[in-house]
Amino acid sequence: MKRRAILAFMLDRPGVLQKVSMLIRKKMYNVDTLTVCNSRKKGISRMTITLREDDEEKVQQILSQLEKFTEVVSVKELDTDHSYWREAAIIKVEADDEHLESFRKDYTFEILDHKSNEIHIIQIAGSTRRIDAFVKDLGEEHIIEIARTGVTALEK
Amino acid sequence: MTGKELLLRALADRGVQTIFGYTGGAIMPVFDQMDKLGHFKFIMSRHEQGAAFMAQGLSRASLSTANPQVGVCMATSGPGAMNLVTGIADAYMDSVPMVAVTGQVATGVIATDAFQESDVIGVMMPICKQTYMPLFVEEIEQTVHEAFYVATTGRGGPVVLDIPKDVQNVQVDKDYHFDTAAFRPALPGFYYHPTPAREPLQKAVELINRSERPVIFCGHGVISSNAGKLLQQFAEKVNIPVAFTLHGLSAMPLDHPLSLGMMGMHGTVEANRAIMEADLLISFGMRFDDRVTGKLSEYAQNADVIHVEIDPSEIGKNVQPTVAINADVYRTLHVLVSDPMLAGKPRRRWRQRIAEAREVMAADLRREIDKGVGDDGALLMKTIIDRLSKLTGGRDLIVSDVGQHQMMAARFYNYQTPNSWFASGGAGTMGCSLPMAIGVKLARPEERVWSINGDGGFQMNMQELGTIMEQGTDLKIMILNNGYLGMVRQWQTLFFDGRYAGTPMQSPDFGQVASAYGIPYRKVTELAEIEPAIQEAIDHPGAIMLEFVCDPSEVILPMIPAGGGFDDMIIKRPKAKKKKD
Repeated sequence: MKRRAILAFMLDRPGVLQKVSMLIRKKMYNVDTLTVCNSRKKGISRMTITLREDDEEKVQQILSQLEKFTEVVSVKELDTDHSYWREAAIIKVEADDEHLESFRKDYTFEILDHKSNEIHIIQIAGSTRRIDAFVKDLGEEHIIEIARTGVTALEK
Repeated sequence: MTGKELLLRALADRGVQTIFGYTGGAIMPVFDQMDKLGHFKFIMSRHEQGAAFMAQGLSRASLSTANPQVGVCMATSGPGAMNLVTGIADAYMDSVPMVAVTGQVATGVIATDAFQESDVIGVMMPICKQTYMPLFVEEIEQTVHEAFYVATTGRGGPVVLDIPKDVQNVQVDKDYHFDTAAFRPALPGFYYHPTPAREPLQKAVELINRSERPVIFCGHGVISSNAGKLLQQFAEKVNIPVAFTLHGLSAMPLDHPLSLGMMGMHGTVEANRAIMEADLLISFGMRFDDRVTGKLSEYAQNADVIHVEIDPSEIGKNVQPTVAINADVYRTLHVLVSDPMLAGKPRRRWRQRIAEAREVMAADLRREIDKGVGDDGALLMKTIIDRLSKLTGGRDLIVSDVGQHQMMAARFYNYQTPNSWFASGGAGTMGCSLPMAIGVKLARPEERVWSINGDGGFQMNMQELGTIMEQGTDLKIMILNNGYLGMVRQWQTLFFDGRYAGTPMQSPDFGQVASAYGIPYRKVTELAEIEPAIQEAIDHPGAIMLEFVCDPSEVILPMIPAGGGFDDMIIKRPKAKKKKD
C-alpha cells in the first residue's frame, strides 16, 4: 500500500495529539510514524503522520476530518515528488572500526561515541529507504539498539 | 468573584435561562451559587441521561424559533458525567448544539483515581465537538463563550466543560476583567464557510436545468438553517420532487404535491424508486447516512450529485458529488431561488413514473390503516399515528423514541409545521423521547407536544415521569405497547426465521405507574377507542398517558435490508418460516 505523509499544524494544547491519533484509529489505520515538534510560530506544533492507503478519497477524508478539529490550523498531504521526507536514527553498533568505516563511501553518518573498540553509537539521517538500506548493509547482527525518529517532511 | 460565579455569569450572558441536571459532590458549589442567584430555571432530571436529552430537546425545538437556545445540562464528576455520555453522543450524531458542564475532582487529586473521578475529557473527546477543562479561574468565562460559539457555529454539536471543584471556588484576581461584548474566539483552526462559492453554484444550475429525472434531498441542515420555506420555493420553482431524510421531515409540509416522503431503509416506495431512477440528486444538509443509501456500491449509479453541506468533511465521505457546495443551506437556497438562470421544466414522464411508484403500496397501506387491527385484533401502530395526525391536523410537535413506532411516526404523521418532528437519528437511542419531549415543551410552551414511545424505550427512561410530575409539564405521552422490542422483532421475522431472541418484554402496569406520578392514564385496546382517547388527551390541560395495546406482528414496510441495495426493497411481508410467539 502506498505510504502517505500528512502534515498538520496545530495548537500546542494538551489532548490534541490524542484527538488526532484517535481519529486515525477510528478510521481503522495504523500510524506508521508520527513526529511532533515546535513550528516557527509560538504555540503552534508541527505534526507529520505517515500511514498506508491507496485510495485517494479515503486520504482526502482523513484530511478533511483532521481539518475539522478546531485546534488544527492547517493540514495537507505531502508526496515524495514535491517534498523531502527524512528521518534520523541513532544506532548502537557492535562492530570493529574497519567494518564501520567501510560504509563511509556509501553513507554519511556521524560517530557520536566510542563506548569501546567494538561498540559505537552512530547517528544517520536520510530517507526511510536510505536508513533501511544502511541497517541492512551494516547487518542486523551488528546492531545492539536502534532509535528512529519517524518521518518528518518539508515541501520543496 | 469566584469560578462558579463567573461560570454562571457567562451562561447568563449567553442567554441561558434553563439548566437541566443532577447535582453531586464535584458540582455542588455551582448548584449552591445557582440557588443563591435564582436567575436560572433549574430542571432536575431523575437521571443525568434525561438531563442531556432535555437539553437536546430545548436546542432542537428552539432552532426554528425567534429565540434559539442552547440546551445546557449539568452533572457531577465520575458517574454523573458518565451518565451524560449517551445524550452527548446522540447530540453529536444529530448535530444538535448543546453545552454540558460537569464537575471534576479538585486539580490536586486529578489522575489519582480519586473518589468519583473519571477522565471526562478522554471519554467525551470522540463524541463531542469540543472539550474544555479550565484549570485557572480566569479561563472560565472565555471557555464558556468559546464553547457556545463552537456549539452553534457551522454544523451544530455538543461541547463539554469539565471544571475541577477547586477552580469553581477560587477567587479571581481583583484586576480580572472579561469583556463579553469584545469576545472573539481564539480558534485559528475553526473554519466556517457560510456563503456558497459562485463556480459550483453555476455548475449546479447547469446540472439542474439539464436534468430530466431530478430529486431534491431535504436533510436536517434545512431545518437547522431554517430554510424549509426556501426549499419549498426552490422545489416549486424548478418543479422537482423532494425526498426527506429522517431528520429532514417537517422542513416543509409532507402533503405538498412535490413531497415524496421519507427516503431510505423505511422510506416510501416513491422516494426510493425515484432515487434509483434519478439522473440528478440535489442534496441539502444531509450526510448520506447508510440508512439513506443502503449498499453504497449500488447507490445512485446513474445520477449526478449536487451536495450542499456546511461541514466539508461530510462532502465525499460516503457519496462522491459531481458538484460540492460547502456552505450554509439557507444562504445557498437563497441564491438559487433568485437565480434567473434556474429554469423549471414540466418533466411529465418523470412525474408519471413517480405517480406510478406512489401507487405501488398506497392501496395496501390504506386498507391496513382502515382495518386498524392485526389478525389477533390488537391495534396497528400505523392506524394510531394516522388518527393522531388527523385529529391534530399534523400541526403538533411529535417527539418519538427509537424503534418501529418511530418509523410509523415518521411515515404516517402528516407534518405541516416547520421543525415539528424530533427523534434520535444517528445514534438511535432508545429512551430519548420522554426527556427530549420535556425540553421541546420548554422551548415551545404554546404548542402541544406528544411523546411517542414503545414499551421498551419508555422503560429506559420512564423515571423522568418524576420530572414531569414535579415541573407540571403538559405532555401527551403515548405508549405503543406490543410486548416486544418491535423493530428488532421485525428483523427477526424477516431475517432470523422468526426466532424472537431477547425481544419479548413484560411491562409493568403502566396505569399504576402513571398513577404513582399523579398522571391520568387511559388504556386503549379497541379501534373505536383510539380517537376518543386522543381527543381526551388533546382536551386535558396537563400531562396524560395513553397506552395502546398493539399488534406485535405488525411490520413497517417498505424496508431495504441493512447493507442491501434499493433493488432489494421489501414491499410485501414474506411469510415467516417459523413462528414462536
